[in-house]
Amino acid sequence: MERVILGMPGQWAQNFLESSDHYTTKIGGLPDWPISEMFIKSDLLKCVLCGERLCLIAQIYAPISTEKSNIDERVIYLFGCMIPKCGSHAKCWRALRVQQCNSGPLYDNHHDSKPSTNCNGEGKLFVSPNGVSFEENSVCGSEEVTQEAYDDLDFDELARELSEVSFQVVQSKKAKSSLSLEVNKKIMQPKQTVNKINYSIPVVPCFYIYPHEDRSVGDTIAVSANYDSLLTKQDDNSSKDNQNQEFWGGEEYEYDKAVGVDRTFLKFKKRMDACPEQCFRYSYGGNPLLVKPELKEPSPCNLCGSPRQFEMQLMPPLLYFLLEGSDGLSVRLPEEWNWMTILVYTCSSSCCQGSPANTWAVAEEEIIIQDD
Amino acid sequence: MERGGDRGGFGRGFGRGGRRGGRRDEEQKWVPVTKLGRLVKEGKIVSLEQIYLHSLPVKEHQIVEAILGPQLKDEVMKIMPVQKQTRAGQRTRFKAFVVVGDGNGHVGLGVKCSKEVATAIRGAIILAKLSVLPVRRGYWGNKIGKPHTVPCKVTGKCGSVTVRMVPAPRGSGIVAARVPKKVLQFAGIEDVFTASRGSTKTLGNFVKATFDCLMKTYSFLTPDLWTETRFAKSPFQEYTDLLAKPTKAILDDAERVDA
Repeated sequence: MERVILGMPGQWAQNFLESSDHYTTKIGGLPDWPISEMFIKSDLLKCVLCGERLCLIAQIYAPISTEKSNIDERVIYLFGCMIPKCGSHAKCWRALRVQQCNSGPLYDNHHDSKPSTNCNGEGKLFVSPNGVSFEENSVCGSEEVTQEAYDDLDFDELARELSEVSFQVVQSKKAKSSLSLEVNKKIMQPKQTVNKINYSIPVVPCFYIYPHEDRSVGDTIAVSANYDSLLTKQDDNSSKDNQNQEFWGGEEYEYDKAVGVDRTFLKFKKRMDACPEQCFRYSYGGNPLLVKPELKEPSPCNLCGSPRQFEMQLMPPLLYFLLEGSDGLSVRLPEEWNWMTILVYTCSSSCCQGSPANTWAVAEEEIIIQDD
Repeated sequence: MERGGDRGGFGRGFGRGGRRGGRRDEEQKWVPVTKLGRLVKEGKIVSLEQIYLHSLPVKEHQIVEAILGPQLKDEVMKIMPVQKQTRAGQRTRFKAFVVVGDGNGHVGLGVKCSKEVATAIRGAIILAKLSVLPVRRGYWGNKIGKPHTVPCKVTGKCGSVTVRMVPAPRGSGIVAARVPKKVLQFAGIEDVFTASRGSTKTLGNFVKATFDCLMKTYSFLTPDLWTETRFAKSPFQEYTDLLAKPTKAILDDAERVDA
């Protein structure tokens, strides 16, 4: 079974327009491009059907570390269309993969900064003022990082580091709903780096993500309050049966059946119930969790022609949290958003053809939507 | 970060009545997955009748839990082993029959097979909640007081077992075998005469036939349903503006469902 990383919701951003860097994984807000936005073709950021500017839904920092390739500078951006009638078609959504063609020596600044155990100074924010790179702040949590360790950077270690920092922030502030009310009343603080408000770009409420490993499904969850008493009660019933000379015979194995749901959805719901707040599932090259059994094949990569493989999928709690967050604000999600899951397929060789070394390449990837 | 992988081989030693590791809280917060679930969570839909009226599929068991609340009772009817012959011997799995109901017109039946008893019970409870159906009750004679019996003679079938339910006067009680009597009690029927035919020894089929019979009470067209229906807006239509609007406007519930 492939390892699956879940994106769990963390802190709400204090200001939905605040910027961080491209190493942050977040939902909503404004995209943090590693290069200036001028280099991105503007067609990629416009909806195919209506021509309006697309809105960032998710930004995921997704480095790869396999035997074949070791790409550290790789970010996936997911855009959706916010226009009311336009939002539900699969073509309106866009996935962009931005990566640097050769991973240069970018991690030198890690062992320059002094490791310190206490970096709670900034408190709530992932973004530090004055645009200081996020990486330097993250080292506060992890001591003894050497150059060799970063050469073999595992997604494990990265996830652990990210989670260490995020847990320091998140553990004290888990009440997301109360925070969203605070956002309305808070005034923009001048010392944060906030992009100039560009009213033409739609923005959804922004919150940050911390990674969490998907645990095996064997763990039990409580479904009924008198669960244990049910177990003991049925022992009593079986003795009564023998007295009345009834017996249950001739039963065979039966597949799960319920009015209105099929087996695929029941399995999907089972994984959801194991971890109800998961916003997305990440499994590079793994199998997606489907809602309906039919799935169309993704088309091969536009740039290099190699087949596309599954990388991640967005889950419904994300929609729920965004709706909760946009309550009372001027931005509104289109009501046609009935998707159950959005699958993102990326090039299996993670190519960046056509770009010289040490520059950033932007590639468009495939999205498949499964509806309610 | 909690890692689940180190508990490999989970379930072998779980057995019956065993306590979980206590890592998870009992009441986990429900994050709705479907649109109907979001509407229920917000409280826009307060009764199951609104869902039944528009034939909306209920895909999350928490919807039923949220609407019916503490009145929803569940009971395990039977757990039995089913066996399959394999090359390496016999493989035994457990099949659990669970009936849920609120005693007031809603009943559901769930059947689940699993390698462990606990998983089968839990799965059957979920399936039962997903299959909750309305039961129509009527009168035997004078229309005094609350409906207490089935509105007409109905019959249900599963396998070779047919169950026939006949309206009974008040005070007759449920005249049925022990197993379907439980299902009828959960449904909230007070008086009924039943007649069954076929191999009722296969109690699995017997229970499913009773359930099928209850399902048919609302499919039967009686003269009082002859009036034309006035079509009302589906909850999705009515509340989509609400879901998209920034302000929390509370709409009056214009849906009144005939009992």
